[in-house]
Amino acid sequence: MKSLSLFVEKDTTIHRMNPISKIIYVFAAIVIPMLIGNHASALLVALLSFMLLLWAQVFRKVIPLMGFSILILFSIVVIQGMYKEGNHTPLFTLGSIVFYQEGIWFSAEICLQVLNMLEAFSLLVLTTKPPDLIESLVSKGLSPKFGYVLSSVLQIIPQMATTMETIIDAQRSRGMKMEGNLLTRIRAFFPLIGPVVMTSLISVKERTMALEVRCFTSKRKKTFLNVQQVTLQDKIFQGIMAICVAGSLLWRFVR
Amino acid sequence: MKKIIVNDLKYKYPLAQTLALKGLSFSVEAGEFIGIVGENLSGKSTLCQALVGLVPHFFKGAYGGSVVVSGIEVATSEIAELALKVGLVFQNPFTQVTGSKLTVYEEIAFGLENVGIDREEMKDQIDQALHLLDIYKFKDRNPFDLSGGQMQRMAIAGIIAMRPEILVLDEPTSQLDPQGAEEVFKAIQKLSKEGMTVIMVEHKMEKIAQYSDRVMLLHQGEIIDFDTPGKVFSRADLMGYGVNAPIFTQICKGLGAQNQTNALYPVTLDEAYAAVVKTGHE
Repeated sequence: MKSLSLFVEKDTTIHRMNPISKIIYVFAAIVIPMLIGNHASALLVALLSFMLLLWAQVFRKVIPLMGFSILILFSIVVIQGMYKEGNHTPLFTLGSIVFYQEGIWFSAEICLQVLNMLEAFSLLVLTTKPPDLIESLVSKGLSPKFGYVLSSVLQIIPQMATTMETIIDAQRSRGMKMEGNLLTRIRAFFPLIGPVVMTSLISVKERTMALEVRCFTSKRKKTFLNVQQVTLQDKIFQGIMAICVAGSLLWRFVR
Repeated sequence: MKKIIVNDLKYKYPLAQTLALKGLSFSVEAGEFIGIVGENLSGKSTLCQALVGLVPHFFKGAYGGSVVVSGIEVATSEIAELALKVGLVFQNPFTQVTGSKLTVYEEIAFGLENVGIDREEMKDQIDQALHLLDIYKFKDRNPFDLSGGQMQRMAIAGIIAMRPEILVLDEPTSQLDPQGAEEVFKAIQKLSKEGMTVIMVEHKMEKIAQYSDRVMLLHQGEIIDFDTPGKVFSRADLMGYGVNAPIFTQICKGLGAQNQTNALYPVTLDEAYAAVVKTGHE
């Protein structure tokens, strides 16, 4: 089954943690370096996330994401290193191009922040089943309708892609040219998009009815098949994160 | 005890020129298996939707008369509350999958979660539904990985788990291959034997004749006949309403072989065999 979910099935402590604890970690991992505002704190959090990813046995899945980000971050380093406003201390030169210490230092901060976010979010999505995550949020007050949209989209979009492939095959079997130059592809687009949109609308209507008869709009208080336990470890972890965030906030004002 | 009482039910879809249902009146006893037959646009699906409250709550439009299911007036009750009394299974198994759950087990729990069933009770009801529909072995599979027949049985299980008193099925096998259709029919037969009231729209007349206690013949939003399969399928004007009799009935009509007991044409294989033997066509 094709799914947009990035969840990696493993049996580790990180996987077993309550999704809310992981959301709190994401928040803390992003906010703490911002509040403290130095490279060391950002580096420390990035290292912590790196270790947690290794512990959860999902680090290999993060590498492609990092590879994609590195390309963008590299361009930030180059541009900031050369042209940041206030650049005045040359660090090194490449031919006639001068890179400045202030720009490189500033871009390093951005890179570390991005790395932090990437690692923290990866930890969340790679170790948490989407329905568990959504159900945790719904149980904490997120609208069930919004929660349904978030969780269903991961499976329904691949289903729509399958439907589109079927329609492409059907149009191709009727002699329509689907491949070729830009003009051919533009010509093929309209006979394709019509049935795709219509089929999707019909599916949405039918699925809405199916949800209705399964009490989706019931005003009763929802219960959950998979109750996400908040263990003692979760409570300790959440407490530590709260203390770290509060400490960083204090540092910010006292400094 | 009457489970369904429909009185002078009229309905017109928004923007439609004519009534989809033209003053239907009938009742259904508890535990009955009712087959609904009729050509396209005869009002079969609209009637199913009216029994679960989609008409008039989901589909707006002009609505008149009354539908009472398990003592609840449909027009004044919410669909979510009605769903606990009457369940509806649609023809397309794919669009009945919520898409928000990763396993069959969780998928079946969806309705129960929505009405706040206690977790242990929920598990008990899911297990029973899975066993009843013979899909327990698929409980850990992704719903989209099932075949059409398995998926439709999962859809039925999702409804059955909510323990409705009435099950309405709108052409549940129309998009399935013969094997998938057979799996679904066996499951429904099982439910019927358990005492559930079943209303089933279907174009497979042999199956309708085999399982139904009574058959409702609809045509252009009106009830033409509502009687035993033998009486309905023996009608000389059946074809005029766009409905073919079961193949056994057609053969026996050709041979002039009628049931010995009621002088009607046979509707099942066993009846046909007995009638043909009786008339010496063996």
